[in-house]
Amino acid sequence: MRPRVPTNFSPCVRLLRRNYTYNAPIPNYPGHVPTNIFQKLFLAAGSGIYSFFDPTRGDLIATLGEATALPFLMERLRDRMLADPTGRRILRERPRITSSSLHIDQLLEYPENTIGRTYAEWLKREGVSPDTRAPVRYIDDEECAYVMQRYRECHDFYHAITGLPIIIEGEIALKMFEFANTAIPMTGIGAVLAPLRLKPKQRERLQTIYFPWAIKNGASAKPLINVYWEEILDRDVQKLREELGIEKPPDLRGLRKKRISRL
Amino acid sequence: MGFYTRHATLRVFVPGCNAALYSKFRPSSRFSSSLASAPPVAGETASVKSDKASSAYDKIASCLYDVVVVGGGISGLTLAAALKSSRYTSHLRIALVEGMPLASVKSWSPDPDIYSNRVSSITPASQQYLSQIGVWDHVHTERVQAYDDMRVWDGVSGARIHFDAFHLGTEDGTLAYMTENLNLQHALLSRLGSLSSDPPVTILDNTKVAEITNGYEFDDVDLSSWPTLKLSTGDSLTARLLIGADGVNSPVRAFANIESRGWDYNQHGLVASLEMEWDDRQRIAWQRFLPTGPIALLPMPDGKASLVWSTTPKYAAHLKSLGAGAFCTLVNAAFRLAMVDLDYLISRVDEEEIKEDFEWRDARLPVEAEGQQFPVRVVEVQKGSRASFPLRMRHCDTYVAPRIALVGDAAHTTHPLAGQGLNLGQGDVASLVRVLERAVQHGSDIGDEVVLQAYWAERYPVNHVMLGVVDKLQKLYCTDFPPIVGLRTVGLEVVESLDWVKKMIMRQAAGSSVL
Repeated sequence: MRPRVPTNFSPCVRLLRRNYTYNAPIPNYPGHVPTNIFQKLFLAAGSGIYSFFDPTRGDLIATLGEATALPFLMERLRDRMLADPTGRRILRERPRITSSSLHIDQLLEYPENTIGRTYAEWLKREGVSPDTRAPVRYIDDEECAYVMQRYRECHDFYHAITGLPIIIEGEIALKMFEFANTAIPMTGIGAVLAPLRLKPKQRERLQTIYFPWAIKNGASAKPLINVYWEEILDRDVQKLREELGIEKPPDLRGLRKKRISRL
Repeated sequence: MGFYTRHATLRVFVPGCNAALYSKFRPSSRFSSSLASAPPVAGETASVKSDKASSAYDKIASCLYDVVVVGGGISGLTLAAALKSSRYTSHLRIALVEGMPLASVKSWSPDPDIYSNRVSSITPASQQYLSQIGVWDHVHTERVQAYDDMRVWDGVSGARIHFDAFHLGTEDGTLAYMTENLNLQHALLSRLGSLSSDPPVTILDNTKVAEITNGYEFDDVDLSSWPTLKLSTGDSLTARLLIGADGVNSPVRAFANIESRGWDYNQHGLVASLEMEWDDRQRIAWQRFLPTGPIALLPMPDGKASLVWSTTPKYAAHLKSLGAGAFCTLVNAAFRLAMVDLDYLISRVDEEEIKEDFEWRDARLPVEAEGQQFPVRVVEVQKGSRASFPLRMRHCDTYVAPRIALVGDAAHTTHPLAGQGLNLGQGDVASLVRVLERAVQHGSDIGDEVVLQAYWAERYPVNHVMLGVVDKLQKLYCTDFPPIVGLRTVGLEVVESLDWVKKMIMRQAAGSSVL
């Protein structure tokens, strides 16, 4: 293999590196940054610590997710997709969820209680858009990278279908639900470590209401990764919940308002 | 029917044998019979010559055989050919009884485009033995495929082991010869036909054995220990030594009250004759261990191949019912794709859907792996060549009883994953012939149990070890329980990196320790 010497260094660096042969690893897909185990550990530690203190850094959470995505578990998730006819079709067609592919304003016109309408209303209420999802960079297998990307893009649909808000408590509850459903390590790490930042009352709510709900429903529900969201936007939300085996949890915003109003 | 008294020593009862000259049966001229009850050499006393008496004795004489082989399969025919080819035993009077007609086998004229689906892997040791007894010259060698490379891998973990006769330096570089069973049978029959020994082997084909009993005990001749066969044609044969080469459900073994122990695998062996996309002339035998059972692709001449896929009975029935295109796609998928993909494809029925899905998954595999890590694509399956049979392991307690010996599948049955079944039978035949030669040279009665036990003592441990190893391999690889998969992967990779272990395995499998 021809040695690849970085040519954008200054001339004196190139002089010093005259005899140095550097073989850059070859990316497996566009945007792939190949990393070895030590680099992954470093990324995981760094992004984990920083995102603990600043949970609004979505890109760091994404990095944590990719760095801790053990190939064994990602392949297991991918195999679960391959075993299901719809999941297989998703892997073959590789749909991507962006604001242009979904036409959010059209979705707001959909009938009440359809998945599309619920999703669009949730996006509006929380003030987010589907374009805020970072592309996958550190997962080495190309197909597993798509699985992670798909999971990330569908995360908002999981919010919509469960009704959990975007506040930290809601995110943690949803992470626990995803961990029980997909076994992605980052979801487990987030669900276990992030509550340390919460106030005692919030933790209590999580422990008594939302974690039991998340574990019970996540484990017993059908794998959400196999749902072809783009095709079922006009279907009833409750029917989909029944099909997948998910119960709607108590309204978190409602519970918080009640507590604040009582104080 | 009545009794004929020849002279003071002989009285016999003969139900309808064909007449033959007495001189053809003279057991004692070259060696003395150790059993006092054996028929004496008549014709030596002067008082004997009465026409009526001599024709009666002709009748019994013609029913008495030194060796009767029940079963005209490869083991039985090889035994007959070997006995007749050996100068020590060629004078023995041998009969061979086979239930199916052999005329079509004898007159077999092979079509170069069509290969039978019953194919066996002949080890170099077996091939050498067949050569030694003059059978290999009659084999159509253009239909025999020698192979010198075997690639075996684990379907769950992908661990591989590569047996390469060329690089591992075994004697002649061939691991085994893929031969159609029909080819061998035809060669054996040709050899038997071409042997000029006197008396020739009496082949009674299209004849079933209706009953096996003990012989008659007369005044002067006690044939009660001699097994007598009653044939479906009404004739009778009485044997000094009865050989059971009659397959898994051996009536001879039942008559001898020998118990056969073992178990059925919940698997069927699906065989088919396939055609590859192109002839890569690599002479590689491929085997992948799937959790449902191993799939093996053995090379045949002219870019054809033979498939042996041991799988669950449900899958075997489903695979037989599929169209040819879908079947070939599934065979390709079984060698290339992950278990999750194969399980998905097997559950589909639409041929187009199966093909498209397979093409999608196959496109992700590296191009250079074709022909190296898995075989070239299969494109056609020969019409009518898909068949399946149940798989089982059986080993009988003893191979010998007084005046009875068992060879081949009657004595033992094994899983086809190591290609050893037929070769163990060949080893049995070689050993039994050696024992009989020794007996003849020493003047012993060839049916004597003491004589025959040397055969059992030589073959039983060898067969038992091979059967045991094959059975444990089958049990080890028919699971996807992760700890066992991990252990077997480590074990396989260790063996793969140790050339001396691989050489030992190849030598054992080639049967060189047998002869």
